[in-house]
Amino acid sequence: MKQLALFFGVFVAHTLVALPRNLVESTKSGTIINIIYVAIIAILISYLIYKLIKNFSGSDIIDISEYLGGKVFKTIIGIIFISYFSISSGILLRNFCECLKIVYYPMTSLVFIILAFIVTLYIVLKFNFSSISKVNLIIIPLVLISIVFLFVANLENFSISNMFPIFGDGLFDTFVTGLGNISAFGGIALLYFLPPYLQEPQKTKKVFLLSMLFGAIYLLLCVSIILFMLIFLMYTNEILPLYSAARYIEFGTFFQRLESIFLLIWILQVCCYLAIITKISISILKKVTNCKYEKPIILLFTLLIFAISFLPKNYAISKFIESSVNKYLSIGITIFLGLIILILANFKKRVKNKIERIS
Amino acid sequence: MKKFLKNIFIVILIIFFLIAFSSSYKSLSIDNLAIVVAMGIDISDNNAFKISFQFTTPSSVSESGTSEKAPSKIYSVDASSISSGINLMNSYVGKEINLSHCKLIAFSEEVAVKGISKEIYTLINDTQVRPSTNIVITKCSADYYLENSKPLFENLLTKYYEVFSNSSQFTGYSSNATIGNFFNSLICHSCQPYAILGGVTTADDENKSTSSSNESNQSTNAEKDSSAISNASPLSNISNSENIGLAVFNDDVLVGELNSIETLSFLIIKNNLDGFLISVPNPSKTNSYMDLYLTPVNSVQTKVEIVNGSPYITIDCNFTGRIYSMENDSEYLDPKLLEQISDSCNSYLKSVLTDYLYKTSKNLQADINGFGKLAHSHFATTSDFDNYKWNEKYKDAFFDVNVNSSIKSSFLLTES
Amino acid sequence: MSFKSVLSSLFTFKPDENINKHNFNLIEDYNIKAYPDDDTAIKEPPKKIYPSLSVNLEFMKTRYNALINSDIIFREFVLNARGKQYNALLVYIDGMINSQIMDDFILEPLMMRNRNNLYGGSQNKVISEAVANNITVRKVKKFDLASYILSCLMPQNSVKRQTDFESIISGINSGNCALFVDTLDSAFDIEVKGFQQRGIEKPSNEIVIKGAHSSFTENIRTNTSLLRRFVNNENLVIENIEVGKITKTKCGLCYIKGITNEDLIAEVKYRINNLGVDSLLSAGQLEQLLSEDISIDVPQTISTERPDKASSYLLDGRVAILINGAPYAIIMPAVLGDFLSSPDDKNLKKTFSNFAKGIRLLAAFVTLLLPGLYMAITSFHQEILPTELLFSILASRENVPFPVLVELLTLEISFELIREAGLRVPSPIGPTIGIVGAIVMGQAAVSAGIVSPILIIIVAITGTASFAIPDYSFGFHLRVSRFIFIFLGYLCGFLGIALGLFVYMCMISNSKSFGVPYTINISPLEKVNGGKFFLPPIWKREYRSSFLNPKKEKKQEDISMEWKKN
Repeated sequence: MKQLALFFGVFVAHTLVALPRNLVESTKSGTIINIIYVAIIAILISYLIYKLIKNFSGSDIIDISEYLGGKVFKTIIGIIFISYFSISSGILLRNFCECLKIVYYPMTSLVFIILAFIVTLYIVLKFNFSSISKVNLIIIPLVLISIVFLFVANLENFSISNMFPIFGDGLFDTFVTGLGNISAFGGIALLYFLPPYLQEPQKTKKVFLLSMLFGAIYLLLCVSIILFMLIFLMYTNEILPLYSAARYIEFGTFFQRLESIFLLIWILQVCCYLAIITKISISILKKVTNCKYEKPIILLFTLLIFAISFLPKNYAISKFIESSVNKYLSIGITIFLGLIILILANFKKRVKNKIERIS
Repeated sequence: MKKFLKNIFIVILIIFFLIAFSSSYKSLSIDNLAIVVAMGIDISDNNAFKISFQFTTPSSVSESGTSEKAPSKIYSVDASSISSGINLMNSYVGKEINLSHCKLIAFSEEVAVKGISKEIYTLINDTQVRPSTNIVITKCSADYYLENSKPLFENLLTKYYEVFSNSSQFTGYSSNATIGNFFNSLICHSCQPYAILGGVTTADDENKSTSSSNESNQSTNAEKDSSAISNASPLSNISNSENIGLAVFNDDVLVGELNSIETLSFLIIKNNLDGFLISVPNPSKTNSYMDLYLTPVNSVQTKVEIVNGSPYITIDCNFTGRIYSMENDSEYLDPKLLEQISDSCNSYLKSVLTDYLYKTSKNLQADINGFGKLAHSHFATTSDFDNYKWNEKYKDAFFDVNVNSSIKSSFLLTES
Repeated sequence: MSFKSVLSSLFTFKPDENINKHNFNLIEDYNIKAYPDDDTAIKEPPKKIYPSLSVNLEFMKTRYNALINSDIIFREFVLNARGKQYNALLVYIDGMINSQIMDDFILEPLMMRNRNNLYGGSQNKVISEAVANNITVRKVKKFDLASYILSCLMPQNSVKRQTDFESIISGINSGNCALFVDTLDSAFDIEVKGFQQRGIEKPSNEIVIKGAHSSFTENIRTNTSLLRRFVNNENLVIENIEVGKITKTKCGLCYIKGITNEDLIAEVKYRINNLGVDSLLSAGQLEQLLSEDISIDVPQTISTERPDKASSYLLDGRVAILINGAPYAIIMPAVLGDFLSSPDDKNLKKTFSNFAKGIRLLAAFVTLLLPGLYMAITSFHQEILPTELLFSILASRENVPFPVLVELLTLEISFELIREAGLRVPSPIGPTIGIVGAIVMGQAAVSAGIVSPILIIIVAITGTASFAIPDYSFGFHLRVSRFIFIFLGYLCGFLGIALGLFVYMCMISNSKSFGVPYTINISPLEKVNGGKFFLPPIWKREYRSSFLNPKKEKKQEDISMEWKKN
């Protein structure tokens, strides 16, 4: 259960900020079919990963890369993953804080909003991983309930005909270019690091497949909210698409403009995401460099994320980084690199076993 | 030593945050806000905009529990755009203007005819404006309309604004048009926006007969009721705002109006009515009308097909009804009579709906019912649909309306 | 200090000295069961009393864990009957018997020389005699010591003669004393109950509707007797530990052997035996001395003055400590759900008790967050409020000279002042001050235009909610934490509250109470057998709380209402 929640913690954060809009933009109204198609592929990939990782029970991808290529290779892979995580979370933080600033704090400079998150992150990282995953276990159901509530409360504003034309821009666009949408499943990167935290190794398969399935359903829900309600997203660019959807909720004259409550829950979720990702990065660094003490590294990582979130000069650049750079990075690193390492490691293991059996 | 420095660092951090966020606090704190309840946009004399803001003073509920009528104040400024108008207003009022409780935005007819897309974009872009704000096109000037918006039964103006648009659910004479919907339809390539049509009645007789004199003078009273339209209202002797009818836009330009019966047809096709009252010609007596209360049995089925490059739209409605009015010497339980009434009702409704549909198609060329969305399923890709150019092909549309109503009986009395 | 040393102390990292600091976990691996399943106890045939006194003595000592139990008394003496001396043994529980009765009516007649016992003569009574063929056949009635003691020696009103150990032991547990005599294969169960019944009053701070109305007192023997009466089993072990170099305060460590986890008992004993204090005068001091050092001030032990609550926790597998001089029992380990449960919850039907628990959970949230949320909404997020409510807030704030923060803090602090004053007011005018302080002052403040009426309502609701929390120290903790949330709400609205809530939840999830994670039974998705926060119906409560890792997991049969089976 906890591991499912961990996976969700990482997966959900990006969708809150900008992901559904990027997806809808790229494949227009064919997004529904596209998501189903991409989700099936993602489930197959996760099954493949499970099969490959089964042979190395209890070790995550860093250990596997050490097995494959020794210390140097391990260091390289570790650095690649740390940089991917840092860039991804830094850009997410920047985007989210920009949106917060626009909506709520027009006068405060961006530094302080990001600083608030960083200070919280620093305090929270001092606790151990199990307490963060426990808090995650409480927050994730809240987030899921909020999204379902968003879906249900907006049913009257839906126009299902937005789903047609069902193939969007054309078959080629939907299926081939739409393959890039698999970057939505960038949370697969977490699956590589999950095995050491699993308490019951025999449930690995169930955890992997269930998490992918639920992730796909959740993504479908998010995208359908955006697609059915806000047709103009196809032609304009709005920030925080789910937030815009939340602005339409109205129950009689009493419950109006409830989106601040949604934002409260989503801030909690983003904090969770940052904490989990940073904890994993710290553990990668510990493994790569054989450090014993965590405390000084915490400060290092929080400052790193702080610095990365200030790299883009304005919102346009950070949006560009999120929609394109992040997309290709996640496809390249999580899917291709990970699969290649796993396949090579399995190959090497099989060769070794054969040699041992012969000798 | 380290602990001491760490504590100092924490204190400095807290002070930083205090300073940083306090500027937002100052601008958003509840003590510094002036709450705008409604906004009106006119054209001023020198072709700029005249923007009016309506405030209510909050001293409406006193401690002892009795509430007096909340006085409302209207201030107007001349500006070149909405944002500069807000800016100017800020300097007059002193407190900061907050639009998050603005319930109504009124555009006058002259502004709407010139195109309001820029204003709509600005308003939607504002974080404070709610997408559920009602948008009204007024036949008189907007600030005249706002001045005369006095609630008849409520004390609080805001409650009146929230409630009046919901009357459409049981009368059908107006619709709940929000700025969010307006914006959606503006962007969408397959439908057109609409807004509530508002106006002010006066005790003056001249204003009263403007629109109704354009209708046929031989029309009976019942027809006059159903062709009522704002600013020509039946409400006599009271100077008050009223909202009957819809304003129809093509893109962002006002192209026409719908009177009450046409709005009723619009709502029927949109499935937004719980039930409505209609006056139908009495089959047994000429020149007499009967009042029927119809409720839809199931939602109206609309089908769109492309025949020979033109849209062919089929609409099927199903109602059940009860006879509302009673007369002396009438037997309303007679099945033959009921059938006759049903037929009369069917033909009347069919003619009304068809008139309305052809008006939107041929005269106004604005697809406010959103038939274009149903046409999506006939196209494989978005670019195909865009190439078809629905909005231009709409004027060649052919409508086929079928109404099937079954009149059950009357309400309390069955015969007399 | 030189500049270089300051710089180096700032930027060098010294690992924590106590890197192997105290880290006690009750459950190391959730997959491995500490104790294998204990199938239903095999019923053995009841053991018969042995004729030899020394064997009986050994048996009773083992059965009652006399080496560690501090209040089981074995009194050996010599019994005089018909001029002959027999070794005898009295077994009883100190604190539950009336020693006057025992001295006067058991020990004196049996031990001292009295006329009855001086009667000498043969032990056997001749009934009849017959002579035939120079052989004398005598029918002799053998002298029956047991019936002699029973009928002649003991002027005690209620004496039963038993032949098996179970009945003797149950008698001792309920407050009788047992008399064993050498060469007799039966023992006497003598009624000498005399535990304190006066002086036990109603609990003043924990009132329930459907439970018992007795509470602990200052005397440790009385408290142990109260506990014994509720548990009524010989496996309840009460060990004696002395704390404090000068005062040597007696503390009784209570647990049920056979249910409680051995590691937990060892950990508690380790902590309480390694306290270097001069004196220990109250339960509160001991609570603080035993808690792990955690940065957040949540209480980690439960302190209760009700013996029925303490015994139900003991039966669940926890450990209790009684202190001489304090009318409280300290129970450990304690998790978050325990501070929101009242002893009445198990006495009511599940719907009612779950409803009450939901209300208490809501009260905890309201106490912590409501003022902070009000602060955040009025400062940054006014659009959430319905327009009419916003206008009434504005109207009520028109004449108030202070900003929202100052107003809120003033009201909260004056509420706390009233609460403190209420504790110390002499009783005749106590209730009056409460009414005067709360209502009249609030009303007067509104009329004077110092505060707005809406704020009075908010503060009143918060205060009432804080009274709804059953545990005093937990309520205190929430009251203190809400000031932090008020400040965060003022600082950055919902962002501050969300971040503060996140850090707060992490801190709580991180803390442990005697090896048990703190939030284990309140988190909705954790796998916990038994001991969940919301109770199932009584026939489903089959398991003890699994986070305590008890020796016996099941506490009910699968079908506990066996009368329904037929």
